[in-house]
Amino acid sequence: MEQLSTLWQPLLDWMNGNDIFTPNTFAMYWTGLTNTVQLVFISLLIGLVLAVPLAIARGSRNQVLRKSIWFYTYLFRGTPLLIQLYLAYYGFAFIPGIQETWLWFFLDDPLYPALLAFTLNTAAYTTEIFHGSIQATPRGEIEAARAYGMSKAKMMRRIVLPSALRRALPAYGNEVIFMLHASAIAFVVSITDLTGAAYYIYARFYAPFAAFLFVAALYMVLSFSIQALFKYLEKRLLAHLKPAR
Amino acid sequence: MADTSIPLKINGLYKSFNDTPVLKGLSLDARKGDVITLIGASGSGKSTFLRCMNLLEMPDQGDIVVHGDPIKFKFDKHGRQPSDWKQVERIRSKLSMVFQNFNLWPHMTLLENVIEAPIHVLGQPKDKARANGLSLLERVGLAERASYYPTQLSGGQQQRGAIARALAMDPEVMLFDEPTSALDPELVGDVLEVMRELADEGRTMVVVTHEMDFARDVSNHVMFLHQGVIEEQGAPEQVLSHPKSERLKQFLSPRY
Repeated sequence: MEQLSTLWQPLLDWMNGNDIFTPNTFAMYWTGLTNTVQLVFISLLIGLVLAVPLAIARGSRNQVLRKSIWFYTYLFRGTPLLIQLYLAYYGFAFIPGIQETWLWFFLDDPLYPALLAFTLNTAAYTTEIFHGSIQATPRGEIEAARAYGMSKAKMMRRIVLPSALRRALPAYGNEVIFMLHASAIAFVVSITDLTGAAYYIYARFYAPFAAFLFVAALYMVLSFSIQALFKYLEKRLLAHLKPAR
Repeated sequence: MADTSIPLKINGLYKSFNDTPVLKGLSLDARKGDVITLIGASGSGKSTFLRCMNLLEMPDQGDIVVHGDPIKFKFDKHGRQPSDWKQVERIRSKLSMVFQNFNLWPHMTLLENVIEAPIHVLGQPKDKARANGLSLLERVGLAERASYYPTQLSGGQQQRGAIARALAMDPEVMLFDEPTSALDPELVGDVLEVMRELADEGRTMVVVTHEMDFARDVSNHVMFLHQGVIEEQGAPEQVLSHPKSERLKQFLSPRY
C-alpha cells in the first residue's frame, strides 16, 4: 500500500495542481465513457438481432412484407439520425395521453428514446448490408443446397446465412464504427455521453482543446479496439476466401 | 403401378424458356448400373434435361419417376409446381448432382462439405458421417486435403471433392452436368478416372459430357440431343461409330 501511494502521488499532485484534469472531471469522463459504450453496444446488439430476420424477409416473395421492410430501411437511411433522435425524444411527448401511461416512465428518460432511435437506425443500415450480402450469394451455392434436398429454411440456416454474414463482416465493421461516432450526438438530448462530458468541461472551464482532444483520443481508442476485433473475426471467419496456403 | 426396380424413369418431358421450347418430349430410362451419356452441341438442351431430373429446372410437362415414386405436380398461378415439396426434397437427396463449376460451399472445409447433407438432410449421426466422409475423400485421393477450404484446392481436386460429396448421399442415381468442362486439360484425367471407377462398381449415372472417349468407353447408352429432341440413341459403339443422322455425323466429325 505504501509503495502504491508513492506511485500515485505525482499523479494526484498533478491533478490537484490544475483545474481541468481533476478527479472530478475524470469521474465525468468515466460517466460519459460508460454511457457511450452502453448506448452504442445495446443499440448495436438489438439492431443486429433485428437485422437478420429483417434482411431475410427483405428478400421474401411476399410483396407486402418485402416492400414494408424496404420502406422502413428507406425511411431511416434517408433521414439524419439527429432528426430521428429529436423525434424520439421530443416527439412522443406530444402524443395525447401518453404521459399518463407506463410508457412515459421510459420516454421521460432521454436514454430510452436515444436507444430507440439508434437501434432502429442501425437495424435499418444492417438490414441493407445483410440483404445485399444474401442477394449476392453465388447461384451455385444455392443450387447445390437445393440439389442435395435441403428445404428453404435449412438452406437459409446452413448455407446462405453462414456464407452471407461472413461476407458482410467488413461492411458491418464499418457500420459499428459509424454508430460509435454517430452516438456523439446523444448529448443534445441531455445524455452525458463522452461528447456530453467534454462539452460540460469545455463550458465549465472554457478549455475546448483539453476537453475535446481528450475525448477524441478516447473515441480513437474505442475505434481501434473495434477495428482490431473485426480484423480478428475476419481472419478467423473469412479464412476460406484467402487463396491457397 | 410403376416399376420400382428402375431408379430413374423420365417420360415425355417438355420445357420452354419464355415461349422458346428447349425440350420437346424427352424420355429416358436409367436402369440399375446404367451409365447414360447425353451428348450434343451447346444449346441442344442436354444440361436443361439433366437439371429437370432433380427439378432445378421445372419441366412444363412430363413425368419423373424415382424408384417407382412419381413426382406429384399441381397447377397454380405460377404454372406447374410440385404439390409436395417434402417429396421433392426426399427425391433430390437420392439423386446427387455433380456440377460443372463444382459448387462446393466455400465457407466449409472439404470434409464439412461432404458431411453437410448426410447430417442435415439424411439425419445421419455426426461421427458416422465423418468416418464415411473421410473414407470417401480417401477414395478420391483427397484424404490429406480434408481440412482445406475449396478455394485452396485446384479445380480437379474440387471436382473430386464434389464427387465425394455426391457419393456421401449414397444416391440411387448420380447426375453429372459437364463435370470436366471447367477443368484445365491436365486435370480432366483424374476426374474421369474416378467416374470410370464409379461406373465399374455399378453406380447408376447420367452424364452430360463433351468427352467422347468417356461416352464410348464407359457408358452403355448414348443419347444425342439436337434442338431439344433425342435425335439418335443406343449403344455407344453403334451411335458413335455408325451414326445415322446427318446432325450426328456433323457433330462427330473432327473440328478444327
